[in-house]
Amino acid sequence: MNRKRTALAVAAAGTATGVVGLVLIASPAGANEPPPALPPISSEALVQSVLDSKVPALSGAVALQNNLGLPVPGLPQSSGKEAFARVYSDGTGRARLSLGQGTAGERTIVHDNGTTWFWNSADRSVVKYTGGAEHESVEDKLADPATASRTFIEAIKQDSVVTVDGTARVANRPVYQLVLTPKPTERTLLREVRVSVDEATRLPLQVEVLANGQSEPALKLGFTEFSTGAQDASLFSFTPPAGAKVTEPEVGDKPTEKQRDDLFAALDLKVVGEGWDTVLTGKIPAGALDQQIPQGQGRGGVDITSVLKQLGKPVSGPFGTGYAISTNVGTALVTTDGRVAVGAVPQQVLVDALGQK
Amino acid sequence: MTTTADLPATTTTSSRPRRAPLTRLLRSELRMVLRRPRTLIGLGLLGLVPVVIGIGIAIATSSSDGQPIGEGIAALVAGNGLLLPIFALVVALNMLLPLTGAMLAADALAGEASHGTLRGLLMAPVGRARLLAVKAFGVATVSLIAVTLMAVTGIITGTALLGGDGMLTSSGTSLSFVDGLGRVGLTVLLVTIQIWALAAIALAVSAYTEHPLIVVVVALGLVIVSGVLSVIPALDWLQPALITTSWESVADVIQDPLSWDPLVNGVLRAACYLVIGYSIALARTLTRDG
Repeated sequence: MNRKRTALAVAAAGTATGVVGLVLIASPAGANEPPPALPPISSEALVQSVLDSKVPALSGAVALQNNLGLPVPGLPQSSGKEAFARVYSDGTGRARLSLGQGTAGERTIVHDNGTTWFWNSADRSVVKYTGGAEHESVEDKLADPATASRTFIEAIKQDSVVTVDGTARVANRPVYQLVLTPKPTERTLLREVRVSVDEATRLPLQVEVLANGQSEPALKLGFTEFSTGAQDASLFSFTPPAGAKVTEPEVGDKPTEKQRDDLFAALDLKVVGEGWDTVLTGKIPAGALDQQIPQGQGRGGVDITSVLKQLGKPVSGPFGTGYAISTNVGTALVTTDGRVAVGAVPQQVLVDALGQK
Repeated sequence: MTTTADLPATTTTSSRPRRAPLTRLLRSELRMVLRRPRTLIGLGLLGLVPVVIGIGIAIATSSSDGQPIGEGIAALVAGNGLLLPIFALVVALNMLLPLTGAMLAADALAGEASHGTLRGLLMAPVGRARLLAVKAFGVATVSLIAVTLMAVTGIITGTALLGGDGMLTSSGTSLSFVDGLGRVGLTVLLVTIQIWALAAIALAVSAYTEHPLIVVVVALGLVIVSGVLSVIPALDWLQPALITTSWESVADVIQDPLSWDPLVNGVLRAACYLVIGYSIALARTLTRDG
């Protein structure tokens, strides 16, 4: 009988172990750890060290939490706690980026000494660019948080209060929390931008954008895994697999300077204001509002005006009539005569910007 | 069911009827499970799954003029035969393999109970814990056989029908045939562990009931409910604990380089379910009335 009781105790302990294990897996790593003790640093010195930092040989996994309240084209949907991209760099400018998981199809971008390869597993296509990758989409750029937030800090320094708000852990590494808050004069929807700077490499490991009246970040992009150290050299070369379609766009495929200038002239892009309440205004080329947007396989197109009607609410003012699309972090205003204003600002600022013409 | 009668017989003849040799128990259990017609039919049908998928893909490829024939892994399988076993296993992991695991676990205890043969086993001079271990061994081995069989028929069909020397990964790199086989082996391992986790839960249910059907229903219910819970955004926090979460990450084995983190996580999660299921089954088997 005693043996039976022992065995029962073992069974109960086993069940408890399993349940605790599941709880541990489900709870985010390091949530209950106290923030690491790091030597204090001034915000200027921290920003400077970030700007001076060089990307070492590293490998990491990047996750994105997108809570913008609107799907943004070119930006991947929220990947939750799972990583949506893996980044490798050898520290001398060669890099590899893997986007997407096995089930949904994967894209690989290998940047190897002036040659950039784009691989898409969905249709087994390879695109080879020689001489710089100018065709990076927003998504590709975002997957490298280091570059993304570095440009961000530089641009926003003049109109923001920059403070160091303690320490934390990102991807199990101690980080300084650099917080950019808009100066009170800035008319913006954003509350603060929080950049987590790695203590050792001074690379930004995570960027969080927080909007007014929201406790959860509207956008959170950061490493979930990060380790420095030499990487396998074979990661940074790419050989198109047998049977893949390889295309090499000619220089002629790119728009020439003249075409580009014409396009910009037609768009009439203007920046109104500066800092956090910068508003970008422009003109949509005539007829574009009636154009059809392809809607994925099988389904027919939808013209832009009806999409606008769905997403935005009609507004009118000194600029005429139009549609305003508000998200948690920004507003866009499209008038019926084809003028557009976009910014991380309340709607009134957009109306003012359109009126300045 | 008939062979179980010789278990007590062989042991009682010796002067000290304490314990039957473990290997003989395991062998006898395995022979018994593999002799059941439904086990054999189930294994045979599972082995046919990669063949059917392979023929389907071969037909689809020849009529699609170079267009991708599907999304994700499916798009890569055409002309890439070694990927077929992985694709078939990932597809079967959604329903067919869990069904097999649940069925085996249902037969192991509830099936014996419904035939009245479990009583004989409980009276036999075999410890209760040992009895469960032998039963669990039977379930685990036959699940492994089922997954391996699918991989083997998949490799044969893939190389014969779809061709390709080596394996094209989703990252666009080519692996040698041997490395490709390694990936198939890894998939077999990962899938088997996931099936074991579900079978352990089913075994726990199996210890409590006399109706094998209830075991299968509960196990599949768990799979379906997990699947439903995982798509509710408000229950995102629950997702890492759901048994089905690791099933999705099995497809990551076709990435190059492998990212081990999701795979290891999946194995740990399965191990948790395995420990829970086995512990509950053990508790019930020990306390059950002979």
